[in-house]
Amino acid sequence: MIALPALILLPATGGLTAWLSDRGRQASSLSWWVAITTILLQALLLLFITCTAEWGHGPWLAHFSTPWIPALGIAARMDMDGLSLVMLWLTTLLSFPCVILSARDVGEQPGLFHLLLLATIAGINGVFLATDLFLFFFFWELMLVPMYVLILQWGHEDRRRAAIKFFLFTQGSGLLMLVAILGLVILHQHATGIVTFDYFVLADTPLMPTTAMVLMLGFFVAFAVKLPVVPLHVWLPDTHTQAPTAGSVLLAGILLKTGGYGLIRFVALLFPEAAARFAPVALALGVAGILYGAWLSLAQDDMKRLIAYSSVSHLGFVLLGIFSGSPMGMRGAVVQMVAHGLSTGALFVIAGSLQDRLHTRDMRRMGGLWQALPHLSSVGLFFAIASLGLPGMGNFVGEFLTLLATWRVSPPMAILGTAGLVLSAVYSLTMVGRAFLGPPHAGQGTIHTPPPADFGPRQMTVLSLTMALLLLLGTYPQPVLDLSLPAPAHATPQPEGLHP
Amino acid sequence: MTTLLSGLPPSLPILSGGIALLLLCIAWRRSEGRAIVIALATLLLAFASLWWPLLPWPGDPMGMLFVPDGWFTYIAALILLSSTATMIMAWRETGTSSDEFYLLLLLGTLGALVMAGSADMVIFFLGLETLSLSLLGLIAWRRTHPTADEAAIKYLILAGLSSAILLFGLALSHADSGSLRFAAPSLEGPEGPALPLAATALVLTGLFFKLSAVPFHTWLPDVMEGAPTPVASFIAVTSKIALFAALARYFAGADLLRPDAAGTELAIVALLSMFGGNLLALGQNNLKRLLAGSSIAHVGYLLLALLSPGPFGLASAAIYLAAYAAATSGAFAALGGASVPADIAGWRGMFRHRPALAFAMAIMLISLAGIPPAIGFFAKTYIVIAGVSARRIVLLVALVASSIIGLYYYLNVVRAMMEPAPEEHRAARGTPANAGLIAILAIVTVLAGLFPETLVRQTHSLLRPAPIMREASLRPAAPHDILYRE
Repeated sequence: MIALPALILLPATGGLTAWLSDRGRQASSLSWWVAITTILLQALLLLFITCTAEWGHGPWLAHFSTPWIPALGIAARMDMDGLSLVMLWLTTLLSFPCVILSARDVGEQPGLFHLLLLATIAGINGVFLATDLFLFFFFWELMLVPMYVLILQWGHEDRRRAAIKFFLFTQGSGLLMLVAILGLVILHQHATGIVTFDYFVLADTPLMPTTAMVLMLGFFVAFAVKLPVVPLHVWLPDTHTQAPTAGSVLLAGILLKTGGYGLIRFVALLFPEAAARFAPVALALGVAGILYGAWLSLAQDDMKRLIAYSSVSHLGFVLLGIFSGSPMGMRGAVVQMVAHGLSTGALFVIAGSLQDRLHTRDMRRMGGLWQALPHLSSVGLFFAIASLGLPGMGNFVGEFLTLLATWRVSPPMAILGTAGLVLSAVYSLTMVGRAFLGPPHAGQGTIHTPPPADFGPRQMTVLSLTMALLLLLGTYPQPVLDLSLPAPAHATPQPEGLHP
Repeated sequence: MTTLLSGLPPSLPILSGGIALLLLCIAWRRSEGRAIVIALATLLLAFASLWWPLLPWPGDPMGMLFVPDGWFTYIAALILLSSTATMIMAWRETGTSSDEFYLLLLLGTLGALVMAGSADMVIFFLGLETLSLSLLGLIAWRRTHPTADEAAIKYLILAGLSSAILLFGLALSHADSGSLRFAAPSLEGPEGPALPLAATALVLTGLFFKLSAVPFHTWLPDVMEGAPTPVASFIAVTSKIALFAALARYFAGADLLRPDAAGTELAIVALLSMFGGNLLALGQNNLKRLLAGSSIAHVGYLLLALLSPGPFGLASAAIYLAAYAAATSGAFAALGGASVPADIAGWRGMFRHRPALAFAMAIMLISLAGIPPAIGFFAKTYIVIAGVSARRIVLLVALVASSIIGLYYYLNVVRAMMEPAPEEHRAARGTPANAGLIAILAIVTVLAGLFPETLVRQTHSLLRPAPIMREASLRPAAPHDILYRE
């Protein structure tokens, strides 16, 4: 289906158009309109793909393949299953708040800003679709550079260090993954004499248990840096804190999910045995992440930092779900990723808006904002509660399913994971209490003599839609649950007739 | 004599003829315009002649002076193209342009071609010296520049020393085997392994000096800084390509996977070059010195490809050479075209003042760092394929680790270019020819990165090494056939 590569080319061309339309002009909103149009078109395209997908013909829904570097067995091959579809929808939906609400961030060079934003989205779409390992790695690397520049150009005070840290961590671990990919390819060549990067062919490579473990770890480290898993999370708090609002939303909402997606697609399904043997360690790391992230969240004064650490905690559940080894856990992990994308994305929007209005992220200098900013504060309360996992929201479904699946494997891990939920209630409510409730901060009224503007209709519309989606996910998660079980790697998808 | 010259590639007489013509023209009347026209025409004619049908040659390099095989043709194309790039960079650049400059460039190109195609030690040495001596003149070109003399003297002494070492190695090699063939001597000779080992070690030392591999690299940053920008590009690109080609030819018959002395020495030098080069570049504020460090590191990556015989080894090296040549020439062309001091502070705010130039420079740096979509990404991946295929685990780990260091300093330059500039000072722009060169190189770098298939086909089995068959031979992969059969 030609629509799959279109999903990558559309944001890329849209970005270039946005850039060209704003060359040499300052403070023009033309590029913003181009970007909005591009995302709208992308949503329509995705709707078209969803409608025309081959439903009922097995787990794979759409295919595209064309030779790219045939001499090395590299093809531009993309296949979409339910998991990819869910992730693509998440990306598309979250790009709306990124573009609509980022107008305040942009300042100068809006064309370049939108180019980078859309280029990142193009790379992410590619990651969710590619089933040729070289193509996958190509997109994996491709989404880093624009993100790096976004943080570097439009970030906050300590952006240089944060940007370079982000890049070195992700790129370094990416190179490890490259070596693992090539190791797999070469082993496959030794076994069969064929050089190929095709996911489905490589999945059948006969591997010694030790070799499989080593290769699996190469992939795991790259995805664990992205997700992030605890000892490798060091880049995340800085990067999230320093990134511009749109960057934070993109990072927390989607970029981290590429790690979870990769763990499912390229660790759990490509190396099932090795992943099963590694599961105890991964579960322990997941629980460590949940507790450590929550514990550090408790100690933060910086609002964005608090949300960043809470991400570490919430994404620990994803790791639990994936490595619990059951379909239920896998589904829970996907729901958790979607819910976390929506709720944390929204929280970053709120933190970013607060920073724009109060010029601080420090919660010690906030307080009593409810009187001044009733809309913003109530939205903040909603998403804080969603994030702590109140029943009725998507996060609850995800956490519940992963914990249930973990309980079947290892009750102690599930108990420890549940303890993380208690902590998450504490830090979420503390954040609400310190920022929105309580007495107003002493300096507040005098510094900002005109009281800061509340959320306007534009923000309220976007955030209300996000709320509706979270509630829908919490009350009727069945469609996502049905879709989110990833298609097995050995079920070779139907040929499309491109190659007779 | 006719049999000896039967392998002579037509590009060599063409270049020699062009040089003679240029000499005559200079003797008659000086004109920079005519000089560059003659020089460029000679290069283009030599480039075109690479596709002329060769005189019949036996196919066996034994007893021949030149081997006009696929490896030579490919390397010669790279050398001629990068020399052309150097020439365009030098055109009308302040302080470099003069008739003799182009003469020396042509002479150096001739030396580089001779080196790349030689099958004989004497011919190789002739080529090497031709290149070295013309480089000396080029380095010392800006006589008034304070660092030019220092650079030239440094180069003179070290080039002389390394030539002497190399010559001694070649002599020992001849004493051992009685042949002048330019190839690593076999260790299973009647005299025992001591003599061939010593010969190989000395030849390698000489080559490493010229190739500026760590620990023989100390001259390179100073020389690059002191030399005019086009000359620095010539040293970093043309001369290195020729030397690497000769090194690959020298070891074409040897089994580098065997853990003997030569393989170990190459591996250690590769490791040191990756880390040494990148660490050297890390501390630099001057972009020329930074590129010098980066070029040392790239020699290390190339050595990894050389050390990974098999179906991918030299093919990946060939693609890497092309990627390196395009990106490094482009970076130097951008340096020359910017007309600002070559330190990072001078490049601050380049994205505001000269967005096109900064964009092109960023593409070059991204390619050197190995980030998609530039060709450097594919080339580095290809080298890693070769390394994994030959199980060079230690060197691969070194490549990954040193690449991360590399990322830091390449991105640091990009970052500086994005920062707001301190003040609005804009010097003269580069020539339109230089701007065109930068644009072409940037487009090539990106397009080749997106569609590397042609290059991969071109470079497949250029230099046929001694057949080292592993468990499974490489079949042309056809994943689709496999997939869609059924």
